[in-house]
Amino acid sequence: MKRRLFATVGVVTVLALSGCGGTDSEDTASGGSAAPSMSASAPMTSMSPSMTSGQFGSGCAAVPTDASNPGSFEAMAKVPVATAASGNPLLSTLVTAVKKANLVDSLNGAQGVTVFAPTNDAFAKIPKADLDKVLADDAMLKKILTYHVVTTQLSPDTLVGTHKTLQGGDVTVTGGGTEFTVNGASMVVCGNVSTANATVYIVDSVLMPKS
Amino acid sequence: MASTDVEPRPATSRPGLPRSSAAVRVFAVGVLSAGVALGVAHLVAALVDPAADPVLAVGGVAIDLAPQPVKAFAIRTFGVNDKIALLCGVYALLAVAAVLLGAAALRRRRHGLVGLAGFAAVGVAAVLSRPAATPVDVLPVLAGVLTGMAAMLVLVSAARTVAVAGPGRPRLLNRRQFLATAAGTALTASATAAIGQAVGHRSAVGARSRAAVRLPPPTRPAPPLPGGVSTGVQGVSAFVTPNRDFYRVDTALTVPQVDVRTWRLTLDGAVDRPRAWTFDDLLARGLVERDITLNCVSNEVGGPYVGTARWAGVALAPLLREAGIRAGQNQLVSRSVEGMTIGTPLEAILDGRDALLAVAMNGEPLPLEHGFPVRMLVPGLYGYVGACKWLTSLRVTTFDEFDPYWVQRGWAADAPVKTASRIDTPKPFAQRRAGPVMVAGVAWAQRRGIGAVEVQVDDGPWRQARLADGPSPDLWRQWTYRWDATSGSHTLRVRATDATGDTQTDRRAAPFPDGATGWHSTTVTIT
Repeated sequence: MKRRLFATVGVVTVLALSGCGGTDSEDTASGGSAAPSMSASAPMTSMSPSMTSGQFGSGCAAVPTDASNPGSFEAMAKVPVATAASGNPLLSTLVTAVKKANLVDSLNGAQGVTVFAPTNDAFAKIPKADLDKVLADDAMLKKILTYHVVTTQLSPDTLVGTHKTLQGGDVTVTGGGTEFTVNGASMVVCGNVSTANATVYIVDSVLMPKS
Repeated sequence: MASTDVEPRPATSRPGLPRSSAAVRVFAVGVLSAGVALGVAHLVAALVDPAADPVLAVGGVAIDLAPQPVKAFAIRTFGVNDKIALLCGVYALLAVAAVLLGAAALRRRRHGLVGLAGFAAVGVAAVLSRPAATPVDVLPVLAGVLTGMAAMLVLVSAARTVAVAGPGRPRLLNRRQFLATAAGTALTASATAAIGQAVGHRSAVGARSRAAVRLPPPTRPAPPLPGGVSTGVQGVSAFVTPNRDFYRVDTALTVPQVDVRTWRLTLDGAVDRPRAWTFDDLLARGLVERDITLNCVSNEVGGPYVGTARWAGVALAPLLREAGIRAGQNQLVSRSVEGMTIGTPLEAILDGRDALLAVAMNGEPLPLEHGFPVRMLVPGLYGYVGACKWLTSLRVTTFDEFDPYWVQRGWAADAPVKTASRIDTPKPFAQRRAGPVMVAGVAWAQRRGIGAVEVQVDDGPWRQARLADGPSPDLWRQWTYRWDATSGSHTLRVRATDATGDTQTDRRAAPFPDGATGWHSTTVTIT
């Protein structure tokens, strides 16, 4: 046992020191990518460590896998959140709404936020007349959309709990592991998606602010 | 010696043998020998050239060779940690191989040694396949494999067993000796790797070289910046971007480490007199100092990849003219030490603008991440067509003849900077009190200069912003607008007009293939 321990410690030390620890690696710049891409070492130092874990959830399977596709996780990780969403076919209704409410730049420029991104199916659950009404009312639309943005960056570890949104109201996340529900009804179908400035949780129902 | 050779069979296949003991021996001999080899290689690489670390080199080759679906899988699974995951994968494979090596070595030492040599061959091939490889880069692998072989012999010898009477249960000849040897080897592996890591971090070749560089004062200093370039409004980007805050966009897996004592810049291609310069040769030509705004083509509307620095460097146009550019050439291809290629229109370099081979940034030698020792800089062009970092060669050619790296990937070959403007304050989703609110930001149109900036609140009329001083068309310009804010949610927009009278288009375009367009907006809440 002791001998095995020695050997294991030695190997683990070699691995950890050689960069598998990953905590002090400065060299995360991307090679051979589809776009001139940003090194994580500068200048967006506000990036949260929540970027370190991968995505999860059954809905992730619907995300394009070809890295050159702007809707792929690779492409999304390199660009700010509204741009990332606009490349993803699952989120086209959301993107239309964000453009309509003039929130593209603001979402792209917001640092260290979390976005609950309803899928096209989530929007399809809303009766068409109601959806059209919301899309026609910029103030209402802005309220609903900003209610989907939490002012801090949440990793799966910190996701459960009550969080303040940009709209002013709170959202409450329950669950754990890879199963999370927002406000008791909206399921996270693909969680912990990284973008350059925000962490995204794709949800299956649109969230409605209380006021 | 003989005792190992007489051992009849590998311990694992022997019935009745306690598996743990056999496994420990195989594990110790294989993994510890490999560990020492890698540790020593890492240490020597840190001293010679950190990029010559065999594991890193194998990882680099793996990235190059991996088919797209595999890369996509890796990125999907590991996100931004894909490179760390890759290195861990290389280590995991090595660990498995090392265990097999251990088994082989215990059977026949020769087999273990040949196996190690095989791995060294793979390492050498990977190291030498890098574009910037030099013969000296094989040293880490060689030092590592020789030490690993020595460790293997010592371990095999310490793991000698004796067959005992009864149903075949070989025992270690000397448990204590084996234990001590294994522990010593593990310590050596850890210590060399740790020292290598420390050396690699603190005094890598480039960092040491940069620390020793003394730059002469510029022969043509930049005119002092008027105080009026800054609006003084809190929240607006500093007019001169500190080096640590300057954006970095490149594809380097590790920051290249260049020693100026061995660095050379070559100029060849369609010129009458090809040439090479040492770092000192370049400095001897005298330094031109200029304040220049640089931005990245991948910047989104309102994005952060733009900055201004006081650069000093050697004027590039005279160097090219002295070499004698042949007729019909229109592209200068610059190449970095890690193989990046960037193509710049010759016309842009020769039209009188301050195209530089920059050696200094804000009064200090170029930081390693920004291209030490020399980078190119061509005002008015996006970085990917004019600002090659870690420069090592220049080649005069034509656009027909050669597509540089980004052009091969569909980006435009000629990419002058588009006029752009950005609201820096208030920040998106900011909450302010009703009353006067200072809206402020920056605008840039290098080569043309900024003529006007306007601000729009919601769908109201466009209003002129106040422009701060703009001493050079190659510099961004700050602006302010005093807004009498009323309560409610509001969208602020900005647009700039360059000094030739062209106003930014409101048409939204993505950065690909030649730079984003559109008016930047920000949403704020006034209470």
